[in-house]
Amino acid sequence: MKINELVRILKPELFIPGMQSGTKPAVLDELVQPLVTGGFVRSKGLVIETLSKRETLGSTGIGKGVAVPHCRTLAVSDLHIVVGISKKGVDFDALDKKPAQLFFLIVAPPLDGNNLYLPVLGKVVESVRDSKLRQAMIAAPDFGSFLKAIQGG
Amino acid sequence: MTRNLIELMVLYQDLDLMLKETAEAEATMGFEMEGREKLRKAMDDIAKNISPRFLRTYQRLHTRFKRPIVPVQNDVCLGCFAKLPTSYGEKGRKDQMIYTCEQCGRILYWVE
Repeated sequence: MKINELVRILKPELFIPGMQSGTKPAVLDELVQPLVTGGFVRSKGLVIETLSKRETLGSTGIGKGVAVPHCRTLAVSDLHIVVGISKKGVDFDALDKKPAQLFFLIVAPPLDGNNLYLPVLGKVVESVRDSKLRQAMIAAPDFGSFLKAIQGG
Repeated sequence: MTRNLIELMVLYQDLDLMLKETAEAEATMGFEMEGREKLRKAMDDIAKNISPRFLRTYQRLHTRFKRPIVPVQNDVCLGCFAKLPTSYGEKGRKDQMIYTCEQCGRILYWVE
């Protein structure tokens, strides 16, 4: 998957530049909210519960200030990515114990037509590897700046 | 949390598929993933809130289909692509009822 393909999936209405939550459950709630507001999910509770249960398998806080909560659920009919930025950072049980500041929530139906779930997950992780780009994404004040950052500045 | 029956069953299937995916991943990667037992326990807890009759339906369908619960889009079952009867329309459906496809028997879930 190319970065442009990932960028095409991102939507301005699913971008939260100033997250307020201070705990893991609150972060999941805040990240799912734009999906509800945008009419992308039928049941907010179902998505949050599936995401929470996924966290029991191992935290999706991948370290270096990044978390990628994700799950497949029938509660959505298409793949969606919600991007959230927390300036203060939130303890997300990350591997390196550092607070997470950059969140990519990925939800997809059990059978997504183009089978994008795993390629998207892989591309998101790849895109945050570079420290400079990661910092630019965290500092992005708006959706346009974030897109510029994720595409390599 | 109060939740209608179909949502509980959808959650049950989502976790069921998640467990199967991790089992496949374990087989491929050659090491055990933590938390599978917790996930299985969570599934059992959800199962306690589903009537045994519907759990049996789920298990029976599971012997035939990988996903016993399928979404409905534009009045079409996305398991077998059969058009559903008009009586399954939004006005005719009740919250605590489980609807199945007349063609393939899969349990139906209206996402939108």
